Amino acid sequence: MSTVLERLDRLPRRNLTVLALKGISTLVPGGWHNTTSASELIASVMGSDDPALITQVRLRADELSNARHEGYGRALSLYDAVNRSQKAAGGLRILANVGGALPLVKRVANLTPTSDTLQAVDLSLKVAAEMLAFTQVNGLPGDSFAEFGASLNEYAGEARVRMAALICFDALLPLGDQALQRLDERLGQVGRKELRLTPAYAGMAAMIPGRGDDAHLSFLRRGVDQWLGWAGGFVGTLGLSGQKAVRALESTLGPWQGGFEQLATFLDAFTDTYQHTGVQAVARRLVERAAAEI
Amino acid sequence: MSRLLRWGIGLLLIASLLFAAFFLLPFRAWLPGGTVADVATAEVVNGSAFNRLFPKAEPGEQLVFTQEKRGFSEARLKQGETIKALLAISDTTTAPAARSKFDGSSEQLKGWPLVEQGNQASALLVADRFQVKVIGQGPGLDAGQRHELIGAFDLDGLAALKPARAPRAPKALAPGRQQPVAIPVPSAQKEAAQSVPAILEPAA
Repeated sequence: MSTVLERLDRLPRRNLTVLALKGISTLVPGGWHNTTSASELIASVMGSDDPALITQVRLRADELSNARHEGYGRALSLYDAVNRSQKAAGGLRILANVGGALPLVKRVANLTPTSDTLQAVDLSLKVAAEMLAFTQVNGLPGDSFAEFGASLNEYAGEARVRMAALICFDALLPLGDQALQRLDERLGQVGRKELRLTPAYAGMAAMIPGRGDDAHLSFLRRGVDQWLGWAGGFVGTLGLSGQKAVRALESTLGPWQGGFEQLATFLDAFTDTYQHTGVQAVARRLVERAAAEI
Repeated sequence: MSRLLRWGIGLLLIASLLFAAFFLLPFRAWLPGGTVADVATAEVVNGSAFNRLFPKAEPGEQLVFTQEKRGFSEARLKQGETIKALLAISDTTTAPAARSKFDGSSEQLKGWPLVEQGNQASALLVADRFQVKVIGQGPGLDAGQRHELIGAFDLDGLAALKPARAPRAPKALAPGRQQPVAIPVPSAQKEAAQSVPAILEPAA
């Protein structure tokens, strides 16, 4: 199994994923730097270019990410599971779109669940994965709940572009501008059947607290409730909307003629934004720890 | 069915069972290699014990805890939106190489050895076990500011910390039941065997 930093070094420097993220980052103050070099990341954390120091930090980081109990590998496998599910769901929806036009396969299109519900489940799984990965990577920082909350906010601020991409690609574009307000209601309609249909669920079920699908569903609803409060404020302060997201994406990806929903499907099926930024976020925290431990 | 085929199928079954046991079932958690440097987690001080030893933030500054794991706790010192420094305490039980860099240190702070790593990092070794580190971020801090920050940690409290379980030592028999060791190993050889790991470790 490759370590976190090896995966960071292997991230693409320029492809559809990077372009989509660059587009979204124009909406977020502070912008985004596509970190794809472990040595550069270590040098910026340590504030030093000394190759001996960089090698030491790297060795320590590899040792930490190889230790199974430390959770770095688990966080990455959460991101991988979510990413696989996103691609599968995107492919399914493309198939449904294409299938709807052909008389012979029309029945296939009818078989696929309504994409709104599936999208809502997908979003809640992503939010849950985000929280689980946070605790896997960072533990439960601070002695009080207030300190833990501050730590979560700090993380969300650091991952602003990541959160903006999550909100735009998985909520505003496919579900409309009122997505966050109506998500609660949509999740209320989600039953075990829809949950089972989401491919990511199979990969994540073991890591979600609680036993059985019902306990997992209630965990997802509670997790999303907490996240919605923060996300609502984020959308409000930045003034995010589907229209703005499309315009931002057009600045890097080129003009788009279709509807918002098709753009969301296209992004789901052909980009790995969630996994890409996930590896970068885990790598940063890992390097900060390794730098302090050498 | 020929005998060869039966043997083949039997061996294949055993091999696939073993494969499944080690790679698919959660038996892997019992194998060594799960913890950092294979040190049992009970021998490492938990990061939650470190949190209260961090310095208090000055007015206008903020201390945000970012990570807390076994043997490690880290916080960011922020002024508004900019991160001024990373502050961390770690237990060097899992990283003996980190301890050896203090051997040649001439500087001291409150009686503990102090080392500079690059232009932005200062480290202090407390009680020959806990490492306190300050790494300047962004515009950075000068050495004096970093040392001041390290001095603001509760170093006495840190020196008094103990792990939940002491590192595994050879078990001694109760007095009166002790007997001379019968294994024919010369003592000099035993000593050499014990000191080898310390020599083989890469210098930090």
